[in-house]
Amino acid sequence: MQDARRLQLEEMIARVALGDRSAFDALYDATSPKLHAVCLAVLKDRPEAEETLQDVYIKIWQNASRYASNGLSPMTWLITIARNRSIDKLRARKSRPTSDTADIAATVASSEPGPESAAIRAQERRLLDECLALLADQQAGAVRAVYLEGATYADLAEREGKPINTVRSWLRRSLLRLKDCVSQ
Amino acid sequence: MTDDAPLTPQEEDEALAAELALGLLEGDEAAATVARLSDDPAFAQSVLDWQERLSAMAEGLTPVMAPARARQGIRERLGHGQAPLAEELDASIPWWRRRFAAVLGLASAAAVALFLWIPQQTDRPAASADYAAELVTEDASLRVAARVDGRDMEIALESGAAAEGRDYEIWWIKADGSAPISIGLVPREGTLRMTLPDGLDPSEDIQIALSDEPEGGSPTGQATGPVVAISPLTRS
Repeated sequence: MQDARRLQLEEMIARVALGDRSAFDALYDATSPKLHAVCLAVLKDRPEAEETLQDVYIKIWQNASRYASNGLSPMTWLITIARNRSIDKLRARKSRPTSDTADIAATVASSEPGPESAAIRAQERRLLDECLALLADQQAGAVRAVYLEGATYADLAEREGKPINTVRSWLRRSLLRLKDCVSQ
Repeated sequence: MTDDAPLTPQEEDEALAAELALGLLEGDEAAATVARLSDDPAFAQSVLDWQERLSAMAEGLTPVMAPARARQGIRERLGHGQAPLAEELDASIPWWRRRFAAVLGLASAAAVALFLWIPQQTDRPAASADYAAELVTEDASLRVAARVDGRDMEIALESGAAAEGRDYEIWWIKADGSAPISIGLVPREGTLRMTLPDGLDPSEDIQIALSDEPEGGSPTGQATGPVVAISPLTRS
């Protein structure tokens, strides 16, 4: 993300934290098509995605004051809220127990945000696609299915016709390989 | 790292952080890992790093504009502003005695004037718009006018209607061959107003299209039904 845009979004979130409704409107204008796309990718159902998008912005309004301390870039914070909320809905639909553990992670204070790590992350971002392309198709597909569609280990095991432990082991290795690749 | 060697403790931690960020952990393991976040800052940082790293995948998704009612729903749920028509005046008071009768009277007179005036203008965009497109189906059964003024866009249904259980979805098509971007549904009546999101910049290279979709719009975020009308934005 360009730094100007990042600063703009951070400013909007800071103003939303103070209860500024026009900043909230501006934030919605700037980011709702992307967050709606995230909800749609996970839920694949238009009315449910729209309802979830509403939940997401209500959460953003309520939690904006906690954003500054978590060290995530603004888009990552927003995307993480949209993804987690959508996955909770997806799992509730499948009547699985919901886990909002990743949500908790998003609110944990960061030890080292700083402009330098932000620059490094921007670079990692560009690299991720290239690195996913270097993984075997099956592995890259599994990483995408987990992140963008909320697939679980059980879903992957069913899809691949392999035991959960086997699937877990190769997904973990794929993730480590991905990190090695983007960190080089 | 080879495929059969066990993970080192450091790799185990890294994988666990990724799994937590992805929401892949369940039950006791999830609870224990969440508990670790508060007393292991380095581990908590790894989880944040994973969220940052993985979100690039979502940044690659094609943006899909939500219908205007989504924003209205958020405002209502947060108590920001009123629902449309929520402030209807007490019907027991005769309209000529209502406090704002004069203003209302004026407004409805203006609305009637507008209503009378618009049909003669259907083939010309509003004078204030920067760009416009007139979307007409081949059999002319549906006419939709699109106008862009600055970053504000209006979609007005002029004639015709979607079939029962169907909606017409509006697409923004860039000249670079990228996937069309949904900007909402043609309203069942009247005009849809929106602010264009980042990345949608009006120009004469842009085409606006309508596709026939299930009620509520395409379930996939890409057009699934036939394109019934398409037109470039032209400077007005």
